[in-house]
Amino acid sequence: MTDITKEAMMPPRSFLSQDAIQVFYRLLAAFLICAVLAVLSDSFLSLGNILNVLRQASLTFFIASGLTLVVLTAGLDLSVGANVALSACIAGTVIHKTGSPALGILTGLACGGVVGLLNGVMVTALRIPSFIATYGMLWVLNGLTYWYMAGETLHGFPAGFRQIGSGYLFGLPIPVYLLLVFLGIGTFFAQRTIWGQEIYAIGANPVAARLSGIPVARRLLLVYAVSGTMAGLASIIFLSRLNSAEADIGESLTLPAIAAVLIGGTSLFGGVGTVFGTFIGALILTLVLNGMNLLSVSANWQPLVTGVIVILAVWLDMKTRRRTQ
Amino acid sequence: MKRKLGYMALPLLMAAAFTTQAHADGETIAVFTKNQTNPFFQTVRVGADNMAKSLNAKTLQYIPTKPDSIPEQLSQIEDVVVKKPSAIVFTPVDYKAMVPGVEKINEAKIPVINITDRSAGGKFLSFVGADDYSLGLETARFLLKTLGGKGNIVIIEGVKGSLTNVDRVRGFNDALKEAPGAKLLASQPGNYQRLQALQVMENLMQSNSQIDGVLAANDAMAVGAIEALDGANRKAQVIGINGTKEAIDAIKSGKLLASGDYNGFAQGCLGTMMAIRSLRSQPVISEIVLKPTVITKDNYQPFDVPLEQRTCPTFEDAGKLSAK
Repeated sequence: MTDITKEAMMPPRSFLSQDAIQVFYRLLAAFLICAVLAVLSDSFLSLGNILNVLRQASLTFFIASGLTLVVLTAGLDLSVGANVALSACIAGTVIHKTGSPALGILTGLACGGVVGLLNGVMVTALRIPSFIATYGMLWVLNGLTYWYMAGETLHGFPAGFRQIGSGYLFGLPIPVYLLLVFLGIGTFFAQRTIWGQEIYAIGANPVAARLSGIPVARRLLLVYAVSGTMAGLASIIFLSRLNSAEADIGESLTLPAIAAVLIGGTSLFGGVGTVFGTFIGALILTLVLNGMNLLSVSANWQPLVTGVIVILAVWLDMKTRRRTQ
Repeated sequence: MKRKLGYMALPLLMAAAFTTQAHADGETIAVFTKNQTNPFFQTVRVGADNMAKSLNAKTLQYIPTKPDSIPEQLSQIEDVVVKKPSAIVFTPVDYKAMVPGVEKINEAKIPVINITDRSAGGKFLSFVGADDYSLGLETARFLLKTLGGKGNIVIIEGVKGSLTNVDRVRGFNDALKEAPGAKLLASQPGNYQRLQALQVMENLMQSNSQIDGVLAANDAMAVGAIEALDGANRKAQVIGINGTKEAIDAIKSGKLLASGDYNGFAQGCLGTMMAIRSLRSQPVISEIVLKPTVITKDNYQPFDVPLEQRTCPTFEDAGKLSAK
């Protein structure tokens, strides 16, 4: 089947689709949170704080952006956090041993990508449900990382390398530029390319996708590899920003990334959602924590409020979706 | 294949039995720690190995694959009760939840020594540990002394509700009460995580133009806070807890003011020593609560030595090291 007929079958998603309406609701929620925080805290609207929020949201976004594609195919990647931990530890060692940040970055990206590819192989060739395959991978990666690090931490990286995560360019933190670039690439890929459209089609109805000639396995492989590579990228940002790596960083990264995807309106059942929505999801999560810190909300309430926000977001999502359908 | 292995194992077993009787050594000590991720427990394990080696015994390390997992440590206890080591050196992953586990060990009549976190129940031959409260108190006192008893302070807490965090933060707060000139701006959770502490610090700096001191409940969070301060070109005195290698390096380079250490290496050494002494019917000290050490730029040298090259305290030292 040629690309032309495929395209005829799947017209590019118009921006006024259901996805656009969902994104609109999320932007509204983010603006509401901002408005409330601006009233309650004088320092919220300062330029410094806004850049803070964007930089903090970027790490979650990098992990969650690749994950969004996986969730669009009705899959899940539970190994992303553990992947970040292993990639960070290996990339950090390479930088320490060779003194070359470039080599370290390549190794980190490659490590993340290979792990993603293995997830993809388990899901496509071995037909293991993604939830189980990536959960197993999570343990394998944790085991490898704990063994490799043996309770040690890596720390101290060259100043040039530190710029990636902590530096500024024309007054904006460098991770924010990366955020904008990957937000652009992700959105373009998902909304405007045939491959992106095929990913939506696979999530919406895998059988129909296969029958209409989409190479489902190859696209799934791509999606998991992208998710892994983005985890690799996140590991580089993490290393560069925190100047260190330890084995147990993964656990605190996976669930916020999944939450960002879901708050962003991507359905766990596949086929519905946007990378831009995920960006808003990461932003909402970050805003809530930032706001609670600015307002000195007690440590006891912070996890509780975060939990309620996640539940509320997914509930509102289902409610508005029912209305638009 | 199985039979072949059996023949091979038999002489070994006999040899082992013979050695045990002949020299009263070769005991196997099962050492339980909470996770593979916190460098503190690595120092405990190396201390335990070091002591066992010097007394001609061996250790078997039991560490949950998922950090601090209660069900996993419980099943490791079940496994070890079947395996019957000579004695157990035990850190509960949760001081209350592991009590039934300790009772299983007691029922199996395996001698057990409690180290690091004091178990809420069960029978132990000895306790070797430190006091998180005095660790928090002493480190915070040192910070306040450095600041001249005044200034704006923030606390970055560990995991809310964990025993270590509750006690450390209580120590921080009591030290703050002794310094009426100091003002506590905020006490926020960083969950013992570097990244979370960095982000909390970034956020707190937005709403507080002057922060003079940071009390972090562990070293990873202290280092995270320092990264945030550096990123904003601001300065504050920061303290952490654990005495990790990273903290020592930061103290050397003047970035970290101090780190509280509760002698994980000595805890591993002494816990194992008490276990082996009890097996050899030698006297045992039933309670050793080690004094906290506030590691600063004046006294970091003994901590700047690779773990493998450190030496365990002797039995005579043990009495002197204890705070009680």
